[in-house]
Amino acid sequence: MLWKLAWRNIWRNKRRSLIVLVSIVIGMAALIFFDGFSNGMMQQMLSNQISSNISHIQIHKKGFNDNKIIKNILPDRQKVEQILKENAQVKFFSERVITFGLLSSASSSSGIYLYGIKPGAEEKISKIKTSIVEGNYLSDAKRDILIGKKLAEKLNVGLGDKVVAMANTPDGSIGSDVFRVTGIFETFSSEFDRSTIYISEQTAQNMLGIDNETLEFAMIIEDFKKVDEVKANLQLKLGDEYEVLSYKDLLPMIIFSMDIYQESMFIFNLIIGLALIFGIINTMLMSVFERINEFGVLMAMGMKNSRLFFMIVLEAFIIGIVGTIVGLIVGILIHIPLSHSGIDFSLFAEGLESFGVGAIIYPILSLGNLISMIFLIPFISVAGALYPAYRAIKLEPVYAINYV
Amino acid sequence: MEILRAEKLEKIYEDNGVPVHAVRGIDLKINKGDYTVIAGPSGSGKTTLLNLLGALDKPTSGKIFFENEDITTKTKSELSQIRLNKLGFIFQAYNLIPVLTALENIEFSMMLLNIPEKERKEKALNLMDELGIKELANKRPNEMSGGQQQRVAVTRAIVNNPSIVLADEPTANLDSETAGNLLSLMEKMNSDKNITFIFSSHDQQVIERAKKLIILKDGKIQN
Ligand SMILES: Nc1ncnc2c1ncn2[C@@H]1O[C@H](COP(=O)(O)OP(=O)(O)OP(=O)(O)O)[C@@H](O)[C@H]1O
Ligand SMILES: [Mg+2]
Repeated sequence: MLWKLAWRNIWRNKRRSLIVLVSIVIGMAALIFFDGFSNGMMQQMLSNQISSNISHIQIHKKGFNDNKIIKNILPDRQKVEQILKENAQVKFFSERVITFGLLSSASSSSGIYLYGIKPGAEEKISKIKTSIVEGNYLSDAKRDILIGKKLAEKLNVGLGDKVVAMANTPDGSIGSDVFRVTGIFETFSSEFDRSTIYISEQTAQNMLGIDNETLEFAMIIEDFKKVDEVKANLQLKLGDEYEVLSYKDLLPMIIFSMDIYQESMFIFNLIIGLALIFGIINTMLMSVFERINEFGVLMAMGMKNSRLFFMIVLEAFIIGIVGTIVGLIVGILIHIPLSHSGIDFSLFAEGLESFGVGAIIYPILSLGNLISMIFLIPFISVAGALYPAYRAIKLEPVYAINYV
Repeated sequence: MEILRAEKLEKIYEDNGVPVHAVRGIDLKINKGDYTVIAGPSGSGKTTLLNLLGALDKPTSGKIFFENEDITTKTKSELSQIRLNKLGFIFQAYNLIPVLTALENIEFSMMLLNIPEKERKEKALNLMDELGIKELANKRPNEMSGGQQQRVAVTRAIVNNPSIVLADEPTANLDSETAGNLLSLMEKMNSDKNITFIFSSHDQQVIERAKKLIILKDGKIQN
């Protein structure tokens, strides 16, 4: 009966309750949108990076990641390969020769990261093949080279044009070779496209004089969530000579911004919560002051303070629950189509691409945040009703009955 | 049998620092089944006295014995408990809960005593039937006339079988015919169910039909 009474009391002043409800619904929908959007952006940044060339886990000679020089070749390529083959968690892996060098065309030249890859295996651990926008993917042919679109523009070369790559060899001399542009790729990151070239590993080894040696193993594992476990396991097997790095180690900025994001989400929740709580306190106070006479009568009838208190808090709680449910529905109705179509940020695409996100952002809702939102608003509604309810039970019955 | 007794009751209000002596030394006794009207001019202290007798307010000095227990020393929540279990109230402005129907208003009284839903519905409907207001069951207060609302309020006040029903000017907002009908209803409850009533009123009709009359003037009993 108290629930029924509370429900009807809410609708006594329809406009006032609707205003609170609408503000809760808007707050909730905004939280869902904001969370989905930021979360989607973050996940996209991460998965773009992982699928471009970071992969889940990389193995190098210790120190390579801080100093990417050709001298840091892997101590024992066969051993690493064997260990990876034996590990059931490792789904795909491939090896890469990586070094810094120079790429020149007839008209210009540019500093580059040279990747010597195994075309077949690389295809399984990165998206380089599907990023080709002109020409073909790499084969093992000696003169094949893939270059980024931005780099092609900079060097003013097209498919079939001749380019010369140069890089230091481990003994300090310079290795170089001539290539004809086989394919041009375009990824989400214009920075990557400006600075990366791919040739076959074999060619790279020849050019750099490091036959049968490599610098990196990169892999995709079966269960993305077990990355720390797999990493630790590999490190243990490989020993101190090697560094085993997960995407978390390799993308500290993204991981950091994801952490920051969780905190900013908390603050965002807090701000919306604070805005709502004052609305609720205000509404409930007004509704209590309008009913002083009625409370006087209830007190005269012997209604316990605890019950009266509960009734008032219940009214706010119901508003909070209804607002949360409607807000959730509205938020999800907005979210679902956007999560399929994505939100097109082509206008700012240049900025986003150098940030590593891509022009279209697909919102993703995180269950954890959603659950905390579902609890947040009813909790805040109850909190906002505590003071008004306290004021109500502190009334003197005689004063309340005669209050005009 | 005595159920209520007041001894040397005094109530002094403070009005902006000026003491107002609203009740000055009242002694009275109410027996089970009494039908008492407290009359007197405006400002004579009728409401004040009724509030004291109804455990809504505390006297400045003096004692009130309800069923032989001194209630002037009791805490607020004990007084609330007494009102819940033993007293019924009728107000000048009816004061039904506006969002509840007549039936629900009567049920509400019983809900406060934690009577189960089925039982309270049955009891409320029976009593409404007895008082001839069953057809009002599903009406909200704003769909009823003043007289109808006050009948519902009387039903609400007596449904828990209180020892005493207190009513501060219950007929003041009603025309004299409606007031007469309401009085008949309460007289019937008084004689049929032996419910004790204490009213305050300056309505001539109410005073004429009183079985016991207390006339107040300046906070003192005149008769
Ligand atoms: N809360 C209060 N504070 C100060 N003075 C009060 C208060 N309540 C009542 N009084 C004063 O006490 C006296 C008695 O008031 P009370 O309301 O009991 O009279 P009453 O007989 O019920 O009058 P009426 O017929 O107008 O209802 C009056 O002088 C009134 O002004
Ligand atoms: Mg009065």
